[in-house]
Amino acid sequence: MTSAWKLASSSLVLAFAITMAGCGEEKKEEQAADSSAAPAATAPAATTEAAPAADPMQALIDAAKAEGQLTTIALPHDWCGYGAVIEGFKAKYGLTVNELNPDAGSGDEIEAIKANKGNTGPQAPDVIDVGLSFGPSSKTEGLIQPYKVATWDTIPDSAKDAEGYWYGDYYGVLAFEVNSDVVKTLPQDWADLLKPEFTNAVALAGDPRASNQAIQGVYAAGLSAAGGDASKAADAGLKFFADLNKAGNFVPVIGKSASLAQGATPIIIRWDYNALADRDTLNGNPKVDVVVPKTGVVAGVYVQAISAYAPHPNAAKLWMEYLYSDEGQLGWLKGYCHPIRFNDLVKSGKVPQEMLDKLPPAASYEAAVFPTLDEQAAGKEAITKQWDSVVGANVQ
Amino acid sequence: MTQARLGSWIAIVLGTLYFVIPLIGTFEFSMKMRRGEYSFDAYRVVLNDPQFQATFAYSTVLALATIVVGVVLVVPTAYWIQLRLPKLRPLVEFITLMPLVIPAIVIVFGYIRLYNSSSILPMTSHARATDLLLTFSYVTLALPYMYRAVDTGLRSIDVRTLTEAAENLGAGWPTILFRVILPNVRSAILSGAFLTFAIVIGEFTMASLLNRPAFGVYLQNIGANRAYEPSALAIIAFLVTWACMGLINVFGRGKQIKAAP
Amino acid sequence: MAQDAQLSQKPAAASLQLSQKTWAWIGVTPFFIFALMFLILPTVDLMIGAFQDPDGNFTLQNLANLNSPTIISAYVISLKVSIASALTGAVFGFFMAYAAVLGGLPQWIRPTLMTFSGVASNFAGLPLAFAFIATLGRVGLVTVLARDWLGFNLYGTGFNLLSFWGLTITYLYFQIPLMVLIIAPALDGLKREWREASEILGASRWQYWRHVAFPILWPSILGTTLLLFANSFGAVATAYALTGSSLNIVTILLYAQIRGDVLHDQGLGYALALGMILITGLSNGAYIWLRQRSERWLR
Repeated sequence: MTSAWKLASSSLVLAFAITMAGCGEEKKEEQAADSSAAPAATAPAATTEAAPAADPMQALIDAAKAEGQLTTIALPHDWCGYGAVIEGFKAKYGLTVNELNPDAGSGDEIEAIKANKGNTGPQAPDVIDVGLSFGPSSKTEGLIQPYKVATWDTIPDSAKDAEGYWYGDYYGVLAFEVNSDVVKTLPQDWADLLKPEFTNAVALAGDPRASNQAIQGVYAAGLSAAGGDASKAADAGLKFFADLNKAGNFVPVIGKSASLAQGATPIIIRWDYNALADRDTLNGNPKVDVVVPKTGVVAGVYVQAISAYAPHPNAAKLWMEYLYSDEGQLGWLKGYCHPIRFNDLVKSGKVPQEMLDKLPPAASYEAAVFPTLDEQAAGKEAITKQWDSVVGANVQ
Repeated sequence: MTQARLGSWIAIVLGTLYFVIPLIGTFEFSMKMRRGEYSFDAYRVVLNDPQFQATFAYSTVLALATIVVGVVLVVPTAYWIQLRLPKLRPLVEFITLMPLVIPAIVIVFGYIRLYNSSSILPMTSHARATDLLLTFSYVTLALPYMYRAVDTGLRSIDVRTLTEAAENLGAGWPTILFRVILPNVRSAILSGAFLTFAIVIGEFTMASLLNRPAFGVYLQNIGANRAYEPSALAIIAFLVTWACMGLINVFGRGKQIKAAP
Repeated sequence: MAQDAQLSQKPAAASLQLSQKTWAWIGVTPFFIFALMFLILPTVDLMIGAFQDPDGNFTLQNLANLNSPTIISAYVISLKVSIASALTGAVFGFFMAYAAVLGGLPQWIRPTLMTFSGVASNFAGLPLAFAFIATLGRVGLVTVLARDWLGFNLYGTGFNLLSFWGLTITYLYFQIPLMVLIIAPALDGLKREWREASEILGASRWQYWRHVAFPILWPSILGTTLLLFANSFGAVATAYALTGSSLNIVTILLYAQIRGDVLHDQGLGYALALGMILITGLSNGAYIWLRQRSERWLR
């Protein structure tokens, strides 16, 4: 039918017209980006000072509002209560928040910055929330820009970059999330998991060759088995999981809320904040208990950073200010994450008692170990390389 | 004859069991949202969300656009390769296999690098232009399936004779393509259309990173970190997509050329 | 092909023949431009990246790193799963397509099967993995019902969903529909006259299929099996969700490097992808060789 040919050619013409129209829009975007680049250039000089006067903060708020939008990436709403935190930010400052790919891993976030270097469109992330080891590596690659929030001094030194490129945001410890409808006795420590009543029960929340959560899980098990000796933790962890697998207790499925509820993975090793949020979401169906192990309590820190190529740098800085303000930090605490300024907040009595009550007992956190960057790197190296040969399919 | 008929029935029944039982398992689990009894709670949560309709409509429009672009791109190519340029066939087939092994995330980051706001062909700043880019990315993803379906369809008709006959009757190439060849590969194109539609409706990575409100993105957002809703969503998405395919089938079929019993 | 040569030697006006070939080249140009713009150029970074170290200098180290036991075993297992699911999917898919198209069944079965296959062809990833866990897992619906109603212990027979064969069976869920959708139009093309002619000449059903129908369908079956193979080879989400940490396949390794939370050796990830592209190219070559051999028969 010639009409079909007409349809095809006219749709091609239409497509070109749209693209050309896109060019016109794009010019306007470029002008907007140019005007916001100017205050951004002067901002870093101002913000390296410590305490915020009302004026620089107001200037930042105005500049951010002029940009109008913040683009985030890899922030699931159930993770650390990010849903509520984002809503709080939107309500307080009236900016729109453009959320990219909440399913992204840290590697994805770095890739997104790299790929969007020349892009000022809404696909370019302004801020990232990545695993600890990605902070220094993205600094070396020149992907992030420095910024020190107003509350900079209350952030522990071990959890931030001295020049302000990256800064820890929250931490949690690895715990057991147990479906207590299926599993009658609760495991109290890592060694309990090897017991015969937990056949086909234990799962990790990720792939130990790729996921930070899973690797820290193996490391924590090893730390418990090695009696706290960090240098032996990785190997001991691998051996623990090999034993777990041989005993038939280990389920290689990636543990998720659905597989916990269904019964395929009634015990999942994951960050306590995820486990607690999950307990709330499931709302008693099934009953969930979250147990922090007695030994081998490993804490994991995540870090925030602003992209060096952020299309909305002032909005990004405002976001950081919000996150590190008391309001933002308590927002994370509501999501069961320990914000990085937790000790400071508790000392100043700013944490409501009900919130403290909802967390696991503070005693569990006293034994928490924060692996250094080097320890993490060594553990990562050993576990990812040897998982298959010691625990996995190559053994079969 | 009856032996063959019995064999066919056995094949269909076994196949149906294999495909339906996992769906029943999913459905049964999705009904368990309320403790101790079966209920449709998970479905109520999902269907009450206005985003469901909005994102599904968006993805449907893009899916139809992808099908059109895919057909316009692939049918003439497959036709000419088969008729006049058989030496190019290995190259084209290799190209069409690439989207299956190259991770979608590499492709979409490539797009962002190439077609962002500071390149000569800026496609990421304006929403419609990004929609176009997304459509093209979907066409790329669906290329292996569309090409294989159309190529198979063309092989099963005598392209050479049809072309010669049409030429002898004085037809030019647009007429040959659209009035002679196209109607004869209708069922193959329909197969390609189904495959494309399913891919676009469920696709997540590209839409998410290009920041467009697609159905796959919605599914991921609702289903993440929940136990029962993802299963309910899977069932609902399955049924709704099936219904859309039925519609495409009805509109695309035209006069059915019946095969020999 | 011989016929093509004959066509171009026809004593018609030389200018018409030239423009026919040229028309063909013009006709395929949009496809190549599209492929260039939207497939090849975006992946050039991948090709180049495979040969770069983190600082951007040229290196062959990434390719050398591919020669580790983990990675080689990952390729082998990927190949095994892909071949198993492609062959099984092709066979079962063919029989289902045959049953629907030529099996003499009621009219409504074909469109139902086609539309269902359309949906099922993309039912993969976490929903599919979970569907099978919820059905055939240790506490899955079928497992539990078989135990309670039939006294049959599925896992007692040694069956385990979280294994190589479990993964293959799960993969079939989208492989079989793919085969069905693509082969059914080819089955349409088997003309009734050929069947009748062979019957008149005294051939049995088996002989008809062996000497007439299969040789005609063979290139399409081969091509679709190749598609199934590549489809399975590149699949990652289902495997990750189902047997994630116990089965070692290339796509999971790739994703760990490019997307993961921990490792970030992009050069290695790209080298892995390059290896996958190479393998796909080789299997494409094998398919072409097999097809050419069978096409010699047809002449």
